[in-house]
Amino acid sequence: MASEYILEMNHITKVYGSNAVLKDVSLKIRPGEIHALLGENGAGKSTLMNVLFGMPVIHSTGGFEGEVIFDGQKVNIASPMDAMSKGIGMVHQEFMLIPGFSVTDNIKLNREITKAWPISRLLGKDLEFLDTDSMARDARKALDDVGMSVEEYTMVSGLPIGHMQFIEIAREIDKTGMKLLVFDEPTAVLTESEAQQLLGVMKSIAEKGIAIIFITHRLDEVMTAADSVTILRDGQLVSSFDKAETSPEKLAALMIGRGSDGVIQVEKRQEEVTGSIAMSIRDLWVNMPGEVDKGITLDVREGEILGIGGLAGQGKIGIPNGIMGLYEAAGDVEFFGQKLPLGNADAVLRAGLAMVSEDRRGVGLLLDQSIENNIAFTAMQVKGDFMKGFLHQKDTRAIRRYAEKMIKELDIRCTSPAQPVGTLSGGNQQKVCVARALALNPKFLFVSEPTRGIDIGAKQLVLETLVRLNREQGMTIVMVSSELQELRSICDRIAIVAEGKVVDILKVDASDTAFGLAMSGVKSKEGEEA
Amino acid sequence: MSEKTREKPGIRSRIVPIVLILLAVALIGASIGGYALQGTQESIDNLDQMRSQAVLHAASEGLINNIAQQARADKLAELRKDKDFRKRGLDEVNAICDGAMNEARAEAEKLYANPVVQDEAALQSAISAFEKALAESSGLSQTERAAYAELYVQLVDNISDWKAVAGEGIQDANVISALGNVAPDLLKTENSHLHDGFVKLARDMAVKQQAKEDAEQQNQLLTVLATAIPDWNEYAGLEKDALWDKLIQEAPELAGGEKFQDALLKAASEHIAAAEKGETIAPPAESEAGADTVSETQADYKYFTPTEALNREETEKNAAYEELNAQLVAIIPDLGSLSSKLQNTLRENIEKVLWLENNSFSARYNTYVAHQATTDSAGAWKMNLASLAKPLLLAGVAVLLLGLVVLFWKPLTERFGVPRTIIALFFVYLCLLAELYNISVRMMMGNVLERMTMYGVLVLAMMPGIQCGIGLNMGMTIGCISGLLGIVLALQFNMVGFPALVFACVSGAVVSLPLGWAYSKLLNRMKGNEMTISTYVGFSFVSLMCIGWMMLPFNNPKIIWLLSGKGLRVTHSLLGSFAHLLDNFLAFKVFGIKVPTGGLLFLGLCCLGVWLFSRSRLGIAMTAAGSNPRFAEASGINVNKMRTVGTVLSTVIAAVGIVIYSQAFGYAQLYTAPRQLGFIASSAILIGGATVSKAKVSHVLIGVFLFEGVLVFGQQIANSVVAGGGLSEVMRIMISNGIILYALTQSGGGRRA
Repeated sequence: MASEYILEMNHITKVYGSNAVLKDVSLKIRPGEIHALLGENGAGKSTLMNVLFGMPVIHSTGGFEGEVIFDGQKVNIASPMDAMSKGIGMVHQEFMLIPGFSVTDNIKLNREITKAWPISRLLGKDLEFLDTDSMARDARKALDDVGMSVEEYTMVSGLPIGHMQFIEIAREIDKTGMKLLVFDEPTAVLTESEAQQLLGVMKSIAEKGIAIIFITHRLDEVMTAADSVTILRDGQLVSSFDKAETSPEKLAALMIGRGSDGVIQVEKRQEEVTGSIAMSIRDLWVNMPGEVDKGITLDVREGEILGIGGLAGQGKIGIPNGIMGLYEAAGDVEFFGQKLPLGNADAVLRAGLAMVSEDRRGVGLLLDQSIENNIAFTAMQVKGDFMKGFLHQKDTRAIRRYAEKMIKELDIRCTSPAQPVGTLSGGNQQKVCVARALALNPKFLFVSEPTRGIDIGAKQLVLETLVRLNREQGMTIVMVSSELQELRSICDRIAIVAEGKVVDILKVDASDTAFGLAMSGVKSKEGEEA
Repeated sequence: MSEKTREKPGIRSRIVPIVLILLAVALIGASIGGYALQGTQESIDNLDQMRSQAVLHAASEGLINNIAQQARADKLAELRKDKDFRKRGLDEVNAICDGAMNEARAEAEKLYANPVVQDEAALQSAISAFEKALAESSGLSQTERAAYAELYVQLVDNISDWKAVAGEGIQDANVISALGNVAPDLLKTENSHLHDGFVKLARDMAVKQQAKEDAEQQNQLLTVLATAIPDWNEYAGLEKDALWDKLIQEAPELAGGEKFQDALLKAASEHIAAAEKGETIAPPAESEAGADTVSETQADYKYFTPTEALNREETEKNAAYEELNAQLVAIIPDLGSLSSKLQNTLRENIEKVLWLENNSFSARYNTYVAHQATTDSAGAWKMNLASLAKPLLLAGVAVLLLGLVVLFWKPLTERFGVPRTIIALFFVYLCLLAELYNISVRMMMGNVLERMTMYGVLVLAMMPGIQCGIGLNMGMTIGCISGLLGIVLALQFNMVGFPALVFACVSGAVVSLPLGWAYSKLLNRMKGNEMTISTYVGFSFVSLMCIGWMMLPFNNPKIIWLLSGKGLRVTHSLLGSFAHLLDNFLAFKVFGIKVPTGGLLFLGLCCLGVWLFSRSRLGIAMTAAGSNPRFAEASGINVNKMRTVGTVLSTVIAAVGIVIYSQAFGYAQLYTAPRQLGFIASSAILIGGATVSKAKVSHVLIGVFLFEGVLVFGQQIANSVVAGGGLSEVMRIMISNGIILYALTQSGGGRRA
């Protein structure tokens, strides 16, 4: 039965626990089409692809609702192997290549061409020799198809990253019967020219009738390469249309959206903050794996709440981590006119900065220790608080008193201050992290992804606390978050980081289009002079 | 539906413990029945009757054996007279003799095996009387001999210079008072009867010491002779006196050895003879005299003298035996005609039946049954049950405990962890087994306490290591070796008493500081592999110091190899220096357990110190750096510095620990001896409930108690069950390595409450 579409995913719904990550999403792809899949982090793109590939994580959490029709047949894809045998391929974001093997070996891995010899006739196919000549021929052809001039017998280990991406693609197109290829942010690690080359390769693949799902953040690439576009937001299908009907601005606006459900409501500040510069960051480079910054320049005014937004992996989280001395950093950071030593957490903390880390369980807490010990720890170490006596012992009573006060103030739900934080819920753990930062009485607070993985009530409380601290104590707060809505609800200004640089600094009421463009690295007219 | 599924496994999982508890109740019930039966008059009468049978059997058995042996000897003599005796093979002769013996035995058994008792009451009263006298005199004799043995061991262990105590010309009273300085109990009035014996002991030991010293000196002079004189040809043909003068000229050291003049001259003439033939005689090989073997001193009863009271008891006992013997002869007349040697054997047999160290119902029953005593079949099951009361009770308690543990498995293991639960249960079982084998649990507990003081500080050394994040510090042997160095230094300077102990601790700690620091630098470069690295470092440092002990320039003759004059000996006795100093400090006895107060106090003090440290700012920072390095970094803590602090602390505590260990042990062992200490300490703290990433003082104390408890009890019981001492060592290795293995599998998972 011939069909107009090579792949139809109809009314897909996927629930993790009580949290719906995909709600009635449909996706239709024609043969030979490049279909861009757009959406912010957490919009449901990865989950949708996991469903398509029958990843174990889907099956082990209760499967999904909806149907998948591939090549006109209703299919039930049980595993990634199954997907592969049906002709669905994936070009991974992280390279799945074996460094010590040659290009040919990698392309032909597990699909080796073999020839028989007497012993293998006796003892089975596993003992057959490799037919290196035909393997090399196939590999050469695939490499030529992706426009790679690299020799097929080179080792992968020494190749530049861009080349690895192409080998990955060559491997996929070398598979016979390939009908649908998924590219998961293939240009993220490529240089401009390599990206252009890749888009060309994608087009030539599509011309052979192979459909492509192209997942990316770069709107210009979508405009160049894609034939049609599907946009997801918060697990829902926003829109699906041909490229001809759209523009980057429209895409950006749709990606960001301005929904009102689930948004935290906090009283807005009326007047603009015009305090002096509390922190001035000049050309900050941070080497945080996955969140590299390449020359951040940013000013934070005293008494404001500055938001830092941007997509995951673009470097926004690197900023607080670099300044607080958790990762290697270089550049000039002045704090109230004093130069901050980078890479020295102790000195930075003493200067009056504090941070609530995005990695709550890894960096933020001592999971096996009690709430009170967690709250008091940093203040004890940095400022020598909560100590007493001739032998300089910890003052359990003072710690208990302070912890009880914080538990009341931040509404931490626990049985007692002695409960280990590992047994608390995510939201309450986050409150403990905030309490620990507050125990330092900081002038300046970095809050990194404060609402990640916590429920809506706790979110509201955490954000309210931040606003209260800012209004009542005049604490300067820099909040890094992937959730733009959240930033827009409490911040005074929002800096958007893309590819390790501040692209734009926007007012909270700037248009969705401006934010969307900034996230894909394009400065709009609405931005400040940075 | 959900309720059903929840209930089902509940019932199934409870079946096992319920069955176990029911079984336990049945066992305990039976045991109570047994104990009740023990108390009835019927059983007591039965037992008394069995006793008579057993005594008669013991008597007749000797007689029968005697007759049988006599018959065999007669037959052999008869054969020897035969002319063809030489032609017969040995096997044939034996077969003929054995045949005659068996025949005679069967004959004798018919005659004597079932002696007819005329006056049973008289026999029973005679037996009772003898049993009573025997019990009294044996009890007294045992206490006296125990007191003697204790004094003996104290004196022999603690007196290093017998010549000074009991040399020629020293009066007896002075000898006694000198001995009393070492063993004050000797001066008590109740021990005055032992004075003569101990004076004799002291004199004998002085003579022995003199002989030993002479032999050593002679040996040394011989070496001097062989090495100092290059050319023996010059001495050929000299007369004795001239030769002696010449020798002294060449080797002045010989001048002191007039005593050995003859021996030395003889050796010299041998050298001369060899030189004339063109040979050389090598100096005498170095003896292993320095390698003291560590063994428990055994009391030699040669110098024991009984008190008058004991002598009186003995006389009474003898009279009672005469009485009994008369009764026996009346029943079996042939007993009267036995030779005096056989009479003695007979008496010994009977005493063995009647004198039981543990005079309980079941012990008596078992002894009598072993001597073929029976009761009438109607009461037999009762007697059996009564005699089994104790094993039944112990089995009941064991099964009950098992049932309870299975029933509360979940809460128990959540609270204490699987290994601690199992080891604790195992320990309780060992206590029950000890009770079953009549091993004194109290004495064992005393041993456990002693060993706790011995290992406690060493186990404590593991704690800072775990807390600072390097895991199990197998490299604590570095600290141990530093501590040993401190001890050897104290010995080098002939220090004694508390100054020596303090000096050893302090100098050991000082040496361990730079070593621990360097070691921590190494570990900081190898994050993630600390266990492997520390084990390797520990082992290699032990090997390195094996060379070091040989090279270090110590020169106190008490601690170096005697003849080569360099290199430290393997084992150094600390007797006379600071052996048992802490353990005996303020020590007292309670319920017969010696409490090593000083050792426990010191352990407590160390634990308190570590606890206080763990509550200080530095200690808290160190613990945080260990449990979550990234968290610590985010709070401005230098994680590497904290790891260094923890490692150095661990090493220093290990240095102090080995000093405490050696003083409790009484000996300091160098070379490869410290190699296993890291493993012992790690498994102890892990049994206590620590993990490779978390440890508390309570883990140290519980761990060292359980670990040493299991070892001490296990060792005793293993020795009771299987003869030969190898089993306990095997068990120790299995337990300690098994526990480490378990802990490592746990640490891999990362998640553990």
